[in-house]
This record gives sequence, C-alpha cells and structure tokens, in this order.
Amino acid sequence: MDVTVDRKRCEGYGFCEEAAPELFTLDDAGELVVRFTGPVPPDQEREAVDAVRVCPVGALRETLPR
Amino acid sequence: MTDTVTTSDIDLWAEDVVLAPYETYRKLRDLGPAVWLEQYQAFVVTRYRDVYDALHDHDAFASGAGVALNEQLNQKMKGSAVVSDPPYHDHVRGVMAQPLTPRALRAHKEDFQRLADDLIDRLLERGTIDVVVDFAQLFPLSVVPDLLGWPTDGRENFLAWASAGFNALGPMNERARADIPVLADMWAFMAEIAQPGRLRPGSWGADLVEAAQQGTVSKQLLPALIGDYLVPSLDTTVSALSSAMLLLGRHPDQWRAVRADHSLIPAALNEVIRYESPIRSLARVLTRDRELSGTVLPAGSRALMMYASANRDERYWTDPDDFDITRPDVNAHVGFGHGIHGCVGQGLARLEGHALLTALAKKVRTIEVGEPEYRVHNTIRAIAALPATLHAA
Repeated sequence: MDVTVDRKRCEGYGFCEEAAPELFTLDDAGELVVRFTGPVPPDQEREAVDAVRVCPVGALRETLPR
Repeated sequence: MTDTVTTSDIDLWAEDVVLAPYETYRKLRDLGPAVWLEQYQAFVVTRYRDVYDALHDHDAFASGAGVALNEQLNQKMKGSAVVSDPPYHDHVRGVMAQPLTPRALRAHKEDFQRLADDLIDRLLERGTIDVVVDFAQLFPLSVVPDLLGWPTDGRENFLAWASAGFNALGPMNERARADIPVLADMWAFMAEIAQPGRLRPGSWGADLVEAAQQGTVSKQLLPALIGDYLVPSLDTTVSALSSAMLLLGRHPDQWRAVRADHSLIPAALNEVIRYESPIRSLARVLTRDRELSGTVLPAGSRALMMYASANRDERYWTDPDDFDITRPDVNAHVGFGHGIHGCVGQGLARLEGHALLTALAKKVRTIEVGEPEYRVHNTIRAIAALPATLHAA
C-alpha cells in the first residue's frame, strides 16, 4: 500500500506519529517528517492504516500502489 | 422517497431530547444507518462508521450548500471555511489555520499555563464556585479576544453572540428566531471591526484584515471570517471545560489517576469530548446519490452528521456510556468533526484544556461537584450552571 500526505492540509497534530512512529514523526519545528519512501513497509501496514484513520484533518490518504 | 427509507417522527430539537439526548440517539442508531426526519426534511446519520465515512467523502457530502438546517444562515456563512468545498475551501482554510496549528500555538503554551495556574489558585481561595462562569467561560474569554486583537468594546457581547451563532445552525425554530437580532448586532459589529486599524497589529484578526488588503481573502467576507475565529471558540470550549470538571469530579478514581500521571491529560480531554460532544450535529448536502451501509441517500438531500451519537455508538465503542479515560483509541472520536472540515480550532481548544487540567492536577486533590443544570440549545451540549468546590492538594 501507499500513503499520500497532502502537505497543504497537514496542520501538524501528530496523531499519525502516535499511531505509526516508525513512519511519521514531527520534527523539532513541529513539521511532519515522512520516514519512508515508496510503498509502506509490509510490517507497518497496520500502523499506516491507523495513521490515515486518525488524522483529524484528512491530510493522509491511502492510495493504490503505483 | 422510496419505501425502503426508514423515517421517524423523533424531534431532535424537542426540549426533553435536547436536555437528555443519548437514549434518543440510541433509538435512531437502531433504526438504520440513515433515517429520514420528515419534520426537518433531512436524513440523520447516527452510527460512527457512517458519520466517519460521510465526513471523509467531502465530495459527496458537501458543505458549500450549508451546514445549518436553515437557508438564512447557510446564505450568510457562504464562503467561510465551514460553508465551502475544495478547492476554494482549502485556500480559505489555509489562511484561517495559520495561527491555529499546534506548531504556531506553541508560542502561547507557557502563557496559557501561567494563566491557568493563576486561575486555579484564585478558585481554590473561593470555596464554592460556579464551574461555568468562574472556570469554563472565564478562561477562553481571558485568552481568545486578546489573540484576536479585539479592542475593549464589544467584549461583553461575546458569549451571547457565540450562543446565537450556534442556535442559528439548527432549524429555524423559536430558539433560532429569538437569536436572529443578536446575530444581526454581531454582524454589524464584525463589519465595523473589520475596518483597517481596529484590531491590534500583529493579532490573528489584524493578520486577516491584512490578508484581505492584499487580496488573499475577499474583503466582503472579512466580517464572516473574523466571526469564524470568535464564535466557535467560546460555547464549544465552555461546554467541554464544564463537562471536564463534571466528569472528573464524578469519577474520583480517574481523577486520582490523572493527578498521579499527567500524561493522561490529553486522553482525559478526548474522553470528555467523546462522552459529551460539545457540538451535537452539523449538516451536509449530497451532491450525488451516495450509499451508507446499504441505504442510499439521494442527490440534493440534506444529511445531519450526528457527532454526539457517533461518539456513543455501541457498534464501534466498547461500553460507550461509560466514562473511561483509559479507553483505547479514544482520539478516534468525531467530537471535533473529522476530515477536511475537522475543527480548525481544535489545537487551541486542546491547549486551553490541557493547561487547565494540568493546573488542576497540580493543585487540586478532589473536585466536589453538585448537579449540573443544562441549557436548551439548538447545537451545543450546554451546561448552564454547575456548583463545585475544589479542595487543595
């Protein structure tokens, strides 16, 4: 699976970091850092789905693999 | 309407339902994923999964045709972030959100904590207090107008304006009609305050006026956008803060746990907002036929998103009528809405709530609460009065 971040919509709540700390973190300035490139690592798919689900402003989206 | 659509004559705005809504919500959830309310010419969506799905399908469940149950307010709010759709929505939301992101709000964290600590010190000296006036209203009123850059005049009207703004989001019933003159006063004041030079330079309000000068947002919309900062920042937060004091007072074991471990505070605030959702519902309008769990909602129909019911849905939550700050997945509630229209001020609300709960946890051993008196309001779960005595740690 792929996860797309809509940077314009991300307001930095950090719920994704709580759900999937291996995939998303907020840096010291509070900016979202995506810690993977390409498809979500297979052992992190569950966490990725949770991160998408809890984003309060709809900034994360599960997308079909390219 | 086809004969497969479930209809109900339940009146969600009847006084007894407003004052004690949760049993009625359960009945509606059991009737089906979307129930047609003939009296209000709208569907009501009450189950968690369906509300969540609808909020995240903002193309089918659009906001641009209004989120109120009456045309008068829908017309008035058109073009605000709340009553608009992408791509325009994303632009105006982006402008409004700038000072409200958790990142931007960090600058105020220490100030808020100091103000919260001072407030609790004062309340501890007082003996019996009214939670609503002395705590839940006082704190937002002591931070929001200054952040907005508001002059001293007009502040005495803020609570009445905020309450009127949310009453008018319901159906155009007696309650909404009674508040229309109050709103007219507010709109007149907003138009005046939107003139350059009225709001404190560098404030959120003045930045918005500046954005209008530069053409980033419409000058015509400016009064509505300033109102969008003010109105939703009061009644909602007042509701949540009042409920927090009530619920933590009624659950001394959970209050002890919070005092022993302050890292539970964010979950405690989320559980308060799940359990007593400050905004009971807002509406959407279908842009196309859209199915929710097997029921088709036709294009053009209006659908109420019942946040306060979704947050009590037994299909999603375990023991939803229990208040439990250790509940797993508590931040999945839809008390701030969810998706692209999710509450833009939730970072501010959380910052206020966290500062106050931290101050209470540091200083207050027991919260002794009396019986709350609820206010009959079209949109807000509103406690009118709540006596309490705080006992120092």
